[in-house]
Amino acid sequence: MTEKLHPIVEKAGREFADGKLERREFLRLAVLLGVAAPAAYGMAGLAAPAMAQGMPKKGGIVRIGMRVQDISNPHTYSWIESANSGRQVLDYLTVTGIDNVTRPSLVQKWEATPDLKTWTLHLRRDVTWRKGRKFTADDAIWNLKRVLDDKTGSSVVGLFKGFILTEFDDGQKDAKGNPRKSVRLWDANAVQKVDDFTVKLNGQSANLSIPESLFHYPLLILSPEDGGKFGVGSDGTGAFELVEHEVGKRSVFTARKDGYWGGGPYIDRFEIIDLGDDAAAQVSALVSKQVDMIYQGAISTLPTIEKLTHIQVNSVDTGYTAVARTHPIKPFDDKRVRQALRYATDNEAVLKGALRGLGKPGEHHHVAPVHPEYADIGYLKRDVAKAKALLAEAGYPNGVDVTIDARPQPDWELLAVQIMVEQWKEAGIRTKINVMPSAQYWENWTKVPFGFTTWAHRPLGTMILGLAYRTGAAWNEANWSNAEFDKLLTEAEGYLDVEKRRAVMAKLERIMLDEGPVVVPVWRAVFNFSDKKIKGYKIHPSIYIDAKDVWIDA
Amino acid sequence: MLRYSAKQLLNMALTLFAVSFLVFALNELSPGDVARKVLGPYASQSQVDYLTVQMGLDRPVLVRYAEYMGKALAGDFGDSVVFRQPVSALMFDRLGNTLLLAAISFAVIVPLSIVLGVLAGMRERGWFDRAVSVFSSMCASIPEFAMGVFLLGIFVVWLGWLPGTSPLRSDTGWSLWMQFVLPVLVVTFYDAGYLIAMVRSSMVEVMRQPYIRTALLKGMSFHGVVRRHALRNALITPFTVILLQLNYLVSGLVVVETLFAYPGFGRLMLEAALTKDIAVIEAGTLIAVSVTMLTQLFGDLGYMALDPRIRV
Repeated sequence: MTEKLHPIVEKAGREFADGKLERREFLRLAVLLGVAAPAAYGMAGLAAPAMAQGMPKKGGIVRIGMRVQDISNPHTYSWIESANSGRQVLDYLTVTGIDNVTRPSLVQKWEATPDLKTWTLHLRRDVTWRKGRKFTADDAIWNLKRVLDDKTGSSVVGLFKGFILTEFDDGQKDAKGNPRKSVRLWDANAVQKVDDFTVKLNGQSANLSIPESLFHYPLLILSPEDGGKFGVGSDGTGAFELVEHEVGKRSVFTARKDGYWGGGPYIDRFEIIDLGDDAAAQVSALVSKQVDMIYQGAISTLPTIEKLTHIQVNSVDTGYTAVARTHPIKPFDDKRVRQALRYATDNEAVLKGALRGLGKPGEHHHVAPVHPEYADIGYLKRDVAKAKALLAEAGYPNGVDVTIDARPQPDWELLAVQIMVEQWKEAGIRTKINVMPSAQYWENWTKVPFGFTTWAHRPLGTMILGLAYRTGAAWNEANWSNAEFDKLLTEAEGYLDVEKRRAVMAKLERIMLDEGPVVVPVWRAVFNFSDKKIKGYKIHPSIYIDAKDVWIDA
Repeated sequence: MLRYSAKQLLNMALTLFAVSFLVFALNELSPGDVARKVLGPYASQSQVDYLTVQMGLDRPVLVRYAEYMGKALAGDFGDSVVFRQPVSALMFDRLGNTLLLAAISFAVIVPLSIVLGVLAGMRERGWFDRAVSVFSSMCASIPEFAMGVFLLGIFVVWLGWLPGTSPLRSDTGWSLWMQFVLPVLVVTFYDAGYLIAMVRSSMVEVMRQPYIRTALLKGMSFHGVVRRHALRNALITPFTVILLQLNYLVSGLVVVETLFAYPGFGRLMLEAALTKDIAVIEAGTLIAVSVTMLTQLFGDLGYMALDPRIRV
């Protein structure tokens, strides 16, 4: 390495050499802090993942079954499906791969100051928009400022709040008459143009995950000339052009004729066909070869899919789960009742019954084995007698009657709830299931007293604990509060050394097992289906789909 | 008859007005917030507030209703928040698809039911009658989704003769008419089962009438009796029932449309209801109610034409 390494990378390198830092974690840190991915793989002594299966062939059409949504406003996308349409035409500044490692994209190289407050982004100099203009720092800055403007309505705001945005009273009142808080850039120079190909982010506090945050799915880089709107014919730096788009029906993309800076695309045409939400319809379309891929698989269709010889199942283990979570109100205000709930649950049976074994049994503390700082504190075995005893101790010798709210989609969630309810019944926790449509559930997900809520995959265990269980956090749906937990979590977040973090994580996990508000039955594997002629496709834990990597072996 | 029709049409206008207000009010009461829906569960409250003001949703419900009706009377049904396009264009397209499916199904169901029902009913308890009865009660009692999956299993997965979905595009490797076969088949089985039973029982009743026996005893041939004396009388009751099937065929095809990914009116309404896409819900409800009331009116008029004893 001729270039100077970030001091944290140097320190991490020493820890890694001393065996204190896990290989994967070192790799993630090193690339986050600006070491190019192949070099980092080399430094960590890992082989870089092989990119292609044989020599890609040119030509052909790939059709995928996925919802075709309104995609006119990329910066406010709140669905992966929309982002999967937008990303064919537009690029991101960075890209987080299927291995949880963030790599350069429109940003060729990045550097952070030792205090992690200032990030310098060096842009690629060889990128042109399809309509001929050169991609420059002005384009990147226009997009960054637009997503960080509260009025745009982008969820990117949440990720940059502490780092570069500050809350202020905007003089308006909210619906309840309280003063409303808006956010704005903390400093006029927060997003700074250094030269035509260099942008500086001047933060007010340290942030380790800027490169990962730049890949948040609404942060697609649009041409400022399109004014934030996207549609047929819109300019882009990406590999395809959108030539047809009909919401609820289909989208058609054609390969860029003047060549793409990032390699590929191999196929001539990419089509998205809207098959609705019905899982059976999606399989029917695959069977009769009306589509070549399906965006996401449903458990109920697996037995059929496994019998089809021309289809393959793509799957990857993740930190995706859904948790049965309680509010601290009767009977769940007593921690013994919450413990009883955990002792009454048989996670392996849920995994088998609801997910056909695709994934891993959960451990009730919401930190997954795929997280780098995961601490193995032992698997909580089902113990019905103990659950009954705990309920009796808590003053419910005859058991309790409760109602759990759940959604019918995706199908495995309701199935998991039904299985757990049967298990809980044996321990005297008699549960009624109240099924509500997803849209309605998402209106109430933090308000229902006892509910079953999906949690997406996050790269770090501390991230998920901070989002869902820290006192007063916006997504703390359990209204849970534990001062010691909060203190330990802040401590864990401050450690770069993954072993130190793991030691604290073990304590956090024990608190979750002892007092926590949730049952975490499983870790899902995310999966989908594709025709065996489709090559070069690997499923991403967030199901991001890039048609530019895909080719057809007819 | 003219007075009756005019009265019914006025009645219909009043009903439509009442329904439009009810739908608007109910939508207001049901949980969920349109701006929240557009921005997703993870947007902050201030972002949702901005959009709410921008869309004019912060104004009282009566003001918004009055504005909506004013525009609707002028032919502008507003824009869908989910699809971001005028409702009229959206409806026209989806309704057209559903009407096409309904028309083809109707053209199969009606002759099939009448022929099978009459043939079965004219010789009560004959072998053909028994066979038809078993067939029709089986069809009517199997729900559409079960029938759909059953037929998919046979014709798509096993035999591979037909396409599994019907997105109504000819460039998916299957011709358009083949994409219609399975949806029409499912609708036909489900609906014809019921209609055959109706026609049959009506026919059976007529065949028991004394004038049929008289006609037979005076030496008229059996088929002549059926054609000249039984048929018209036997079709009076089923006539209304047949017209009522139009309701089902226009607004009740949700299951079939979802199962076969058919871009129709029922699926559009289902999704609109789940996303609180009020402009679509309003327009769709008004269409469904109009269809119901118009078929009732035509049913009454047709009834009069068939049976001279009935006067309104």
